Amino acid sequence: MRAIVPDVAATLVRDGVEIYYEVYENEGPTIVLIPPSPITHSRIFKGQIPFLARHFRVVTLDGRGNGGSGRPVGRERHTRTENVADILAVIDATGTHEAVLAAHCHANWWAVDIASGHPELVAGLVAIDPGVPYLGTPQPHWIESSETWDVVLDDPKGWQLFNRNVIVGDLRRWVSFFFDAQLVEAHSTKQFEDAVEWALGTTGEILADSEEAQELDPPSREEFYDQVHSLDVPVLVIHGDRDVCQRFDKGVDLAAATGGDILVIEDGGHLSLAREPVKVNLAIKQFVDINWGAEMRTETWTRGLGRPKNALYLSSPIGLGHVRRDLAIVEELRKLVPDLQVDWLAQDPVTRALESAGETIHPASEWLASESGHIVSEASGHDLHCFQALRRMDEILVANFMIFQEVVEEGNYDLIVGDEAWEVDHFWHENPELKRGSHVWMTDFVGFIPMPGGGGHEAFLTADYNAEMIEHIARFPRIRDRAIFVGNPDDIYPETFGPDLPKIRDWTEEHFDFSGYIPGFNPPTDDERAAIRHDLGFDQDEKVCIVTVGGSGVGQDLLEKVIASYPMAKEAVPELRMIAVAGPRIDPDTLPTHSGLEVHGYVDRLYRHLSVCDLAVVQGGLTTTMELTAAGRPFLYFPLRNHFEQNFHVRHRLGQYGAGTYMDYSATGPGALADAITGHLGNPVDYRPVETDGAARAARMIAELI
Amino acid sequence: MRARHPDVEGHVERDGVRLGFEVFGEGDRTILLLPTWTIVHSRFWKMQVPYLARHFRVVTYDGPGNGRSDRVTDPARYTADAYALDAGAVLQACGVKSAIVVGLSLGAAYGVRLATLRPELVSALVMIGPSIPLTPASPEREQTLQRFLQPPPEKPKGWHKYNLAYWHSNYPDFVEYFFSQCFSERHSTKAIEDAVGWGAETGPEILEAEALKSSPADPWPEIVGQLDCPTLVIHGTADRISPYARGVEAARLSGGTLLRMEASGHIPNVRDPVKVNLALRDFIERVA
Repeated sequence: MRAIVPDVAATLVRDGVEIYYEVYENEGPTIVLIPPSPITHSRIFKGQIPFLARHFRVVTLDGRGNGGSGRPVGRERHTRTENVADILAVIDATGTHEAVLAAHCHANWWAVDIASGHPELVAGLVAIDPGVPYLGTPQPHWIESSETWDVVLDDPKGWQLFNRNVIVGDLRRWVSFFFDAQLVEAHSTKQFEDAVEWALGTTGEILADSEEAQELDPPSREEFYDQVHSLDVPVLVIHGDRDVCQRFDKGVDLAAATGGDILVIEDGGHLSLAREPVKVNLAIKQFVDINWGAEMRTETWTRGLGRPKNALYLSSPIGLGHVRRDLAIVEELRKLVPDLQVDWLAQDPVTRALESAGETIHPASEWLASESGHIVSEASGHDLHCFQALRRMDEILVANFMIFQEVVEEGNYDLIVGDEAWEVDHFWHENPELKRGSHVWMTDFVGFIPMPGGGGHEAFLTADYNAEMIEHIARFPRIRDRAIFVGNPDDIYPETFGPDLPKIRDWTEEHFDFSGYIPGFNPPTDDERAAIRHDLGFDQDEKVCIVTVGGSGVGQDLLEKVIASYPMAKEAVPELRMIAVAGPRIDPDTLPTHSGLEVHGYVDRLYRHLSVCDLAVVQGGLTTTMELTAAGRPFLYFPLRNHFEQNFHVRHRLGQYGAGTYMDYSATGPGALADAITGHLGNPVDYRPVETDGAARAARMIAELI
Repeated sequence: MRARHPDVEGHVERDGVRLGFEVFGEGDRTILLLPTWTIVHSRFWKMQVPYLARHFRVVTYDGPGNGRSDRVTDPARYTADAYALDAGAVLQACGVKSAIVVGLSLGAAYGVRLATLRPELVSALVMIGPSIPLTPASPEREQTLQRFLQPPPEKPKGWHKYNLAYWHSNYPDFVEYFFSQCFSERHSTKAIEDAVGWGAETGPEILEAEALKSSPADPWPEIVGQLDCPTLVIHGTADRISPYARGVEAARLSGGTLLRMEASGHIPNVRDPVKVNLALRDFIERVA
């Protein structure tokens, strides 16, 4: 799912070619983002747009030959002149009177043309990894490969793939080689996949045409020198010093020739905007603010000793589970630090639980891009490939991190607690100079585990993500002031992080503290159970089966399957009473009905129902299954297919407690399910007891930091 | 030892009064740190100079009556207009055509006057804890100020020490009290010691001359409203000398930015120097 959608998405026609553009409205100054099409299109700015659009009006376009724009063939259709005219047409069509231009790679050539030819339109230029002629020196591999551009090579290798015949005949081969060479940074798998996918949006013919078109109307050396030296706009160059496409000295010379500033991304390659989105975003905003006098405002700064103790708490919105334990921890924390103020940066559905609990939700929460919405969009039936879903959430994580960073910079928080707040932990390790306050990282699983169906490539990817995390912690131990594993060492999945990587358990014991499990409530005693049952209207002789699929909206298929089994189960056990809970994101009216079957939407304090039921049918999420374990209820659990956490981590942990009955969703039809329900309904259980002091233990670990 | 010694030390004479100035660092942008009430001299900028001088050229000078400047007793030399003329003379002596001007307390009034009388000299203005009567003083101060020329109580307490006769009878006690009020933050012993030491370099006859100065003909809100350069106001909410509301009003009238310093007193550049330094640099980078 995209982190933000445009207010305007439209096309204009120029020179018989459709040009697609987007506008993100805002009252601030306009910034026009220009991609170096046709090898890519506007999505290359996906790490920038959600952030920039909160501060500026953003206009972007797909250049001719890719994305939503037309695919004209013939090199004369891809000249500098045509591309410049397209960009000007978009500026005109969007009613933009003055804008900062931000361009990547060879799109800077076009941007320089516009800034020198139409200075009244251009308030500034951000040249990212710029490709401009005559300045600096070309990469030797471009010169060498150009010599064999038209030649049919027997066995082209390496940069020889920059060849018309290769590009036309096997575009994927060329762009895979090219972007692999550009992404010099380790752990760039996602950026690589994106770049290749966008590049395959054009054709080999068009890409080859566009390369040749550069020779059709170049300026002379003198003309171009004149252009850049006489540019009368502020310039910011952002350039990685290991850029394999546009040598770093091009950026240095462009900054010198224009009297501009340069941000050197040391150790960075050609795709700094994708690989270092946080730094690039902050640099662009600072550049615009400095040159257009950010709106005057009031700032409040409080003397250190004049500040109340405060914390910002982030609770993962993926599932409803985290917030229950986080509320329990905060309750304990307030006993230890009575004057602690807690703000929550949270999104639906977490905010519902926080509102019921009377907690303070930070107003910036409303800007957050929806993570749970993304997870729903990634799920299909009873299937959620949560590792890939997390990878594809990359732009949402950047967008939400940028909001988080603004909140912590303005809020002077003493303490940041992130319960699986991936964006905070990841981007603080990637941008360690941005860290504010003490940081507590909390999680209930460590290590991405490949699903067997994903084969060797998925195993490579999970190992790469694990390796990056291990390197992060090793290089910057100061980013996590405390890492809390919600559980015990025995709960850790007994595997390694991947080939040549440590055992998950060894590494986790070395780098985490263990709070034990943290139930969101204390399991009821027998007396309390009877009282709750009475409260909820459950008769003594009724056998109550609760069916719930959590809060994320993934689970309609399981609900339907259980509902389909209801008539058979009811026939076998007449005292069965089944209550299905659809959760806040599934409309109960969309579910099939049976007489006697109760279907509810969101149920507040659902754990009370679960703690007194005679059987529960649930997914494989940790919170719900552990609540049932703690309450000593029999339950059937169906891990989502391709969900590594539910299939490996949670299943292993439940095994430690001897709790629950694992069910395979694909292999279980309604009849078998009805049998399982009747077979387990009201059965006594013999689970290992779940500790009840986890929240207090976690709170003590956190309180030491304030 | 000083953290940063001046690169240039000199004197400028204006209408028979010698004023000592200092210049630190270089750069195409110059910051003029103005004097304030003459109970102290330019050393009250000691926390700013070393940092700012790494980024800008910094000019400081002592106003008449303290530091390295003449001890004048003519009230006419202590009007805001006279300070504006002094500042213009110092800038001219240093060859500065325009500067970012920073004033604390009464110094903010001098800066406002400089920027309205000689706008070409001031590219931007920072007012810290402006002691400009844009809103009333605290009731206690208002009341004791009215009794300034009357005989003091036998054993004056609090703001009753702000009294001409008491200054002459027990100047050190007044100075001690005054700075205890300036530094309302706990743990301010060193800040108070410094300021008391600077206060000892002048005396009651100088403060008397300053107190008897005349005000500008136009009302202050009108003058502040005339400002035509970017402005930044920095004001502590625990300011016992000039109420925080005056800072809000100064920012509003001048269309400027306000840095509200929660729990800070009257002289945040001494007590919260890091924040003030960063705010000054940030402002200057944005506007000048």
